[in-house]
Amino acid sequence: MEPSDEALCERVAKRDEAAFDLLVARYQERAYRLAWSMLRNAEDARDVSQEAFIRLYEAAGSFGGRSKFSTWFYRILVNLCLDHKRKHRWWKLWVRDEGDDRTDPILDRQPAPVIDPVDKLSRERTMKELGAAVDRLAPRQRAAVLLRVQEDLATYEIAKVLKCSEATVRVHLHRALTTLKKTVEKR
Amino acid sequence: MAKHPDTDLVPYLRGELPPVDRERVARHLEECPDCRQDTEQLRDLLGQLSRSIGQPPRVNWAHYRAELREKLEARRGRRVWWWRPAPLVLSASVAGALLLLLVAVWGGRETSTGADPFALEEAAIGRQLGLLQEYQVVERLDLLEDLDVISDLDGLASGRQG
Repeated sequence: MEPSDEALCERVAKRDEAAFDLLVARYQERAYRLAWSMLRNAEDARDVSQEAFIRLYEAAGSFGGRSKFSTWFYRILVNLCLDHKRKHRWWKLWVRDEGDDRTDPILDRQPAPVIDPVDKLSRERTMKELGAAVDRLAPRQRAAVLLRVQEDLATYEIAKVLKCSEATVRVHLHRALTTLKKTVEKR
Repeated sequence: MAKHPDTDLVPYLRGELPPVDRERVARHLEECPDCRQDTEQLRDLLGQLSRSIGQPPRVNWAHYRAELREKLEARRGRRVWWWRPAPLVLSASVAGALLLLLVAVWGGRETSTGADPFALEEAAIGRQLGLLQEYQVVERLDLLEDLDVISDLDGLASGRQG
């Protein structure tokens, strides 16, 4: 039977390298994808997600097991992403990041092709605008949306990751989705 | 009509609400066409969002893990560098403290000629009490007065009286 994430984390706390490698293999794609969705830059996403794993290695002993490992790890990762955004906010105002993946055509990242050729263009535009609108959300609102939509976390889990109440998460989600709805309605 | 359950709609769609709240929202939706429409729009929007966020550029995971391993080793190396001198500093501090203690005790022995250190301290305080008896004179002294004057307070006091 596969060891649970929590059991692996306990072993990492005892400096079990194999357990760490296993946890990295389990979470690397999720961590990178979430970091990329928040930062929209592949290089930053790689750096920040790797840093999250390093923090995990260093702080594995402090994982109390009161929450799921995934929630604990997402908290490390999301905090790093929020910090990264805070630190680079002013810099990005001055220098448009050439490596910013938002400039890539959104279609390249679509997992499934649009079937209906009639409103293909309209859908493409809507998706592109919606993706850009997500990028413009306030960092914590964006984190809440991504954790809900992309990582499929429940409200109480998002609350733990963002270290706030469930009511606050609901407000974040409501405000974010209201903003995003307006983007769609404009079309 | 009850207050619109705006912030409950997403948890409602996900089926996260406890039964009482779920029933309350369902009842409201039956009565409120606006909220019903909002709920449908939210459902569509959540579906669209998962597609609009897209996928990140592909990564070579073996390379990613190798890079992570390098970073971890570098971090450990840095920590070792920081931690290694810690025992040296600690032991040097302890040795210094012991040396100071030794000098203090040795010096104390020389002056006390084997007397009790507490008795020595009391004797020192007793000597200072003499100054307090001449407090009026001390009070009149300028703060920058020569220390020799202070040490000869007895003479000054007797001179003043005479």
